[in-house]
Amino acid sequence: MSEDTSNETKGIDGALLRRIITYLLPYKGWVALAFVSVMTAAFLGPLKPKLVQITIDRDILTGDLEGLQGIIMLLFGILVIEGILSFVNAYLTQWIGQRAIYDLRTKVYRHIQRQPLRFFDRTPIGKLITRTTSDVESLSQVLSAGVVTIMGDLFKLIFISYFMFTLSWVLAVVTLAVMPLMLIASFWFKKKVREQYRETRKQVARLNSFLQEHVTGMKIVQIFGREREEMRRFTDINDSHRQAHIKTIFYFALFWPMIDIVATTALGLIIWFGGLNAMSGALTLGVLIAFIQYARQFFEPIRNLSDQFNTLQSAMAGAERIFGLLDRDDSLKEPEEPVKKDKVFGRIEFQHVWFSYNPDADPDDKEAEWVLKDVSFSVDPGQSLAIVGATGAGKTTVISLLLRFYDVQRGAILVDGTDVRDLLLTDLRNQIGLVLQDVFLFSGSIERNITLENPEITMDQVKAATEAIGASDFINRLPQQYEYDVRERGMSLSHGQRQLLSFARVLVYDPGILVLDEATSSVDTETEEVIQRALEKLMEGRTTVAIAHRLSTVQHANQILVMHRGEVRERGSHQQLIAQDGLYRRLYELQYREQEQSISA
Amino acid sequence: MLCEKAGSPCAPDLPVGKRVLKCFPPERAQPHLFSEAFPMRVLARLNRFFWKYKRLFIPGLLAALVSSGFAIVVPIVVRMSVDSIPRFVTLYKSYQGTPFADALYAEFFVALLFFGTVIIVLSLLSGGFSFLMRQTVVVASRHIEYDLRNQLYDHLQNLSHDFYLRHATGDLITHATSDIEQIRRYVGPAIMYSVRAVVIIVTAMTAMFIISPQLTWYALIPMPFLAVSIFFVAHMVHSRSDALQKQYSVLTSRVQEALAGIRVLKAYVREEMEATAFEDESRTYRDRSLDLARAEAAWRPIFLILVGSASIIVVWIGGRLVMEGAVTIGNIAEYLIYVALMTWPVAAMGFVITMVQRAAASMDRLSKILDEKPSIVDGDQTDPSIEKITGAIRFENVTFRYETEGATILKNIEFDVRAGTTLAIVGRTGSGKTTLVEMIPRLLDASEGTILIDGRDVKTIPVDVLRQAIGYVPQEVFLFSDTIANNIAFGNMDADSAAIEAAAEEADLLENIQDFPDEFETFVGERGITLSGGQKQRTSIARALIRNPDILILDDALSAVDVNTERTILQHLRRHYGKRTIVIVSHRISAVQDADHILVLDDGAVAEAGTHDLLLSMNGIYASLHRKQLLEAELEAIE
Repeated sequence: MSEDTSNETKGIDGALLRRIITYLLPYKGWVALAFVSVMTAAFLGPLKPKLVQITIDRDILTGDLEGLQGIIMLLFGILVIEGILSFVNAYLTQWIGQRAIYDLRTKVYRHIQRQPLRFFDRTPIGKLITRTTSDVESLSQVLSAGVVTIMGDLFKLIFISYFMFTLSWVLAVVTLAVMPLMLIASFWFKKKVREQYRETRKQVARLNSFLQEHVTGMKIVQIFGREREEMRRFTDINDSHRQAHIKTIFYFALFWPMIDIVATTALGLIIWFGGLNAMSGALTLGVLIAFIQYARQFFEPIRNLSDQFNTLQSAMAGAERIFGLLDRDDSLKEPEEPVKKDKVFGRIEFQHVWFSYNPDADPDDKEAEWVLKDVSFSVDPGQSLAIVGATGAGKTTVISLLLRFYDVQRGAILVDGTDVRDLLLTDLRNQIGLVLQDVFLFSGSIERNITLENPEITMDQVKAATEAIGASDFINRLPQQYEYDVRERGMSLSHGQRQLLSFARVLVYDPGILVLDEATSSVDTETEEVIQRALEKLMEGRTTVAIAHRLSTVQHANQILVMHRGEVRERGSHQQLIAQDGLYRRLYELQYREQEQSISA
Repeated sequence: MLCEKAGSPCAPDLPVGKRVLKCFPPERAQPHLFSEAFPMRVLARLNRFFWKYKRLFIPGLLAALVSSGFAIVVPIVVRMSVDSIPRFVTLYKSYQGTPFADALYAEFFVALLFFGTVIIVLSLLSGGFSFLMRQTVVVASRHIEYDLRNQLYDHLQNLSHDFYLRHATGDLITHATSDIEQIRRYVGPAIMYSVRAVVIIVTAMTAMFIISPQLTWYALIPMPFLAVSIFFVAHMVHSRSDALQKQYSVLTSRVQEALAGIRVLKAYVREEMEATAFEDESRTYRDRSLDLARAEAAWRPIFLILVGSASIIVVWIGGRLVMEGAVTIGNIAEYLIYVALMTWPVAAMGFVITMVQRAAASMDRLSKILDEKPSIVDGDQTDPSIEKITGAIRFENVTFRYETEGATILKNIEFDVRAGTTLAIVGRTGSGKTTLVEMIPRLLDASEGTILIDGRDVKTIPVDVLRQAIGYVPQEVFLFSDTIANNIAFGNMDADSAAIEAAAEEADLLENIQDFPDEFETFVGERGITLSGGQKQRTSIARALIRNPDILILDDALSAVDVNTERTILQHLRRHYGKRTIVIVSHRISAVQDADHILVLDDGAVAEAGTHDLLLSMNGIYASLHRKQLLEAELEAIE
């Protein structure tokens, strides 16, 4: 919210406005139609008092009943048309605006989603959500009502003035004389209220954050026995909040009567001047009554215009943020002539890879914060590699690089002899199945989480996969089975169950390479056995790179890579490494020996 | 001819039309059209506020009466002047050319000026009273809002921990903000509009009937339709804006989830799929917006056609009556203004019903919270003579389970800690350590068994006295967005700067603070600097230490500091050995090994208990934990 406070202070930037308007281009036919409709309505409104004048002077005063009825029919006709047009205007402008908003929103979303992980590392998700939701929303007024309505209101003012001048220029001048007052009052009021709203919003934010903080931290307030003091502080904040509102009431209480007084002043002046004019025979009663109505009609477009001015201002800030996002595209470069691969066999090779999360790290700078330093290894098709090491050794980074979430600064990563940068991202990632330590599930059904909404995957495949993994037992026990809602982040499932679902996900996608980040936290023995079997099933015929936390994974790996502080320190099979009595031996004691005990027990 | 009041506000601060959304923010539970799902009875609870602020309400409602009264006279003056003009003109013409003409003109000039002035004065008076009306009634509604919110917050402070486990923070904040706002609309604007509407409708109708019952009946035909259709459209707008709001959250959580799971999406090349799904949700959102737009667009033709036809009827029927000589042209002008005057009050009746319904729904929700009884308070068992605590803690066969879920968190816990000694608790995540220590300051009460402090049942000790004697450092550090000094002094309001500094020193935080831009006056949290996990934890420790507590509880409170800092802090704590009971929960053996008594919790029960040496010799859970940590330290040391 804090960034939104700048909304009000923004001026109106022509270039920015033009850029916003470009989103209306696809609908220009509809915009033109709305324009015609708004103009017609702007003309019909002021026409009615004119007709009333005619009927009073021509018919009522002369007793011409037929003439009166004719005009009344005409008035009803106009009223109905005006009514229809007013609906069309309101709806059509929204219809156009919401379509343009939809286009903009999906464009923003697609843009964000295309960005590489580096972008997500440095941009808080909350900010991105704001861009796609409320920032886009702030443009909706401009894109829907905006321009068309402004023109409509301006023309309404012009038409009213036109009719007034043709009826009686003296009274027109008298009526228009109060218009500056109206304008001044409206704009003064808008300005004051805007200032006051800023203050009110500040107080509302203070109140909300106090409540948020104290409800969250109520335990602390109570344990430390601070209830009385916090109550006093709350009362203060609540009081400022009240005062801010009361001040706002003052402006509103002043504004509404003021507008009424200005309008009535015009009425009083019309009576006075009109009466005098009538005496000299220059004015009829019908004209006088028409002017009484015009004096009241005048205000609405003025107020609308001052409203529109405000909406435009606040839209500017949102537009600036949105375009700022759209104008910067960091998405990874796709190769110009990608190497095509239908099916990988699964050979993986890291060649002297250096990597830092700082994208500008100089490849020759040895002092830069390298997460990986000169890492090399290769895995043959169908073979398995286990990576072990303490926290911060760079294990997860190896996985991220293999999936090309990031590009390396130095060295190369090859899949089947091709540099990953020469492959289409889609082709590369389609061949890799990823299982993360912290399984990410989306809210929705089990099926959705396994297929990830890929329509090519059939329910039979899903069932076969869960069967093979050993997940079908627990799924069948769930209330709606495959339709069971796992809730946000899979809250309604246990850790082990979530793990199994992520395995099933890999199996239905059937990739040539399996990348596995094993969970550290242990599950109960029974589930552990199921997971163990599932893993064996998964690794069958696939090249596997695993960050190993299970003893069985390291024991069965064809090759173990021991990493420490970004470097490969030891490599070999389990037996060889144990015999070396180095780093691995200690890691083994720490992470795996207990499992050996519990299995043998 | 149109009524310009079509754009009048539905609340003093908000014009109708597009803003109806803001006027009536969406609610979760939408009262059904006519059903009394939320009995209006709940609103009776608010009556005492009307009494409390009678000094504002009585003059305010009187001002509403007077203001409407003056407003209603304006059309009469307009009629008089319009009708006088032809008479003047005829008179003037008959004397034209005579010496009287100039004198007559001068007199008419003054007479017309008088009419004009009266109109302006009347509107000034009416405006003045309407100003007073808003300044009293709407202001009173803000006072009531203030009172209600204070009452709610005060009540929230008294509710116990279990209440907060049952209610989401977000919901409670909604009660304190939007529900109270809905209620305010009822006590202020809704009441004000009703009074004003009734006065204007009744007086205007009376004036109209006196002139011509026939014309009045015709002119009023559209009015009931106006009120009814406004009510229906308002209802439609509300339910559609609720639907829109719901779709907005769907859209937001879709984005939120997709971006949180971006790794999975990218790894499985699901971006296109997800973008399509997002587009679907956006399209639904667009459709909901257009549903709402249709309902909102319906305002305009309704206002236009109903109000416009009332005016046309006045001209039509009025014109015929003028021809018959039953009324004057002035009456037509007068009626046109009456119709315009009545439009908004009539429409307001439609709004007011919805406002009252919404307020009842909100009051119903609020009452549920306000009627909730705090579960941990001083009661019959409390012995007010207890004023001090020395710090011996004893658990006798204590079992704890959450009422709602029924899962047993702690089973038959037994231990005895002498005052001034140290108790350490270790165990896996979820073994019940936090629940155990939360029972000491009575954040939770035991389901079975007894907790004794100084040999007395903890329930007999006044809650204030008990908590006053305890310094608590929770597992999840919670600091307020305030200065460091105030955060530390939160533990002891009377503390001077020397005491704050001493506490910071004891928590090994002093050096860090001296590096901050404004030292102790540095703001933490959103508005200030972001503290590291360790700094936050040490601030939280300082906050507990400044109380100079008899019992200090450290719930995994050293997890974010390094081993050296941990050692320093533990050394500082040792200075008070014998004078302060310490309960320390930790994952690290290094933090607990010197404790007088160590409990190893496993799955809610005490698995092992004893001193460090004893536990090592048992070669069980504790011993294996110890071994692992030695190895970890060894790995850490490898360069």
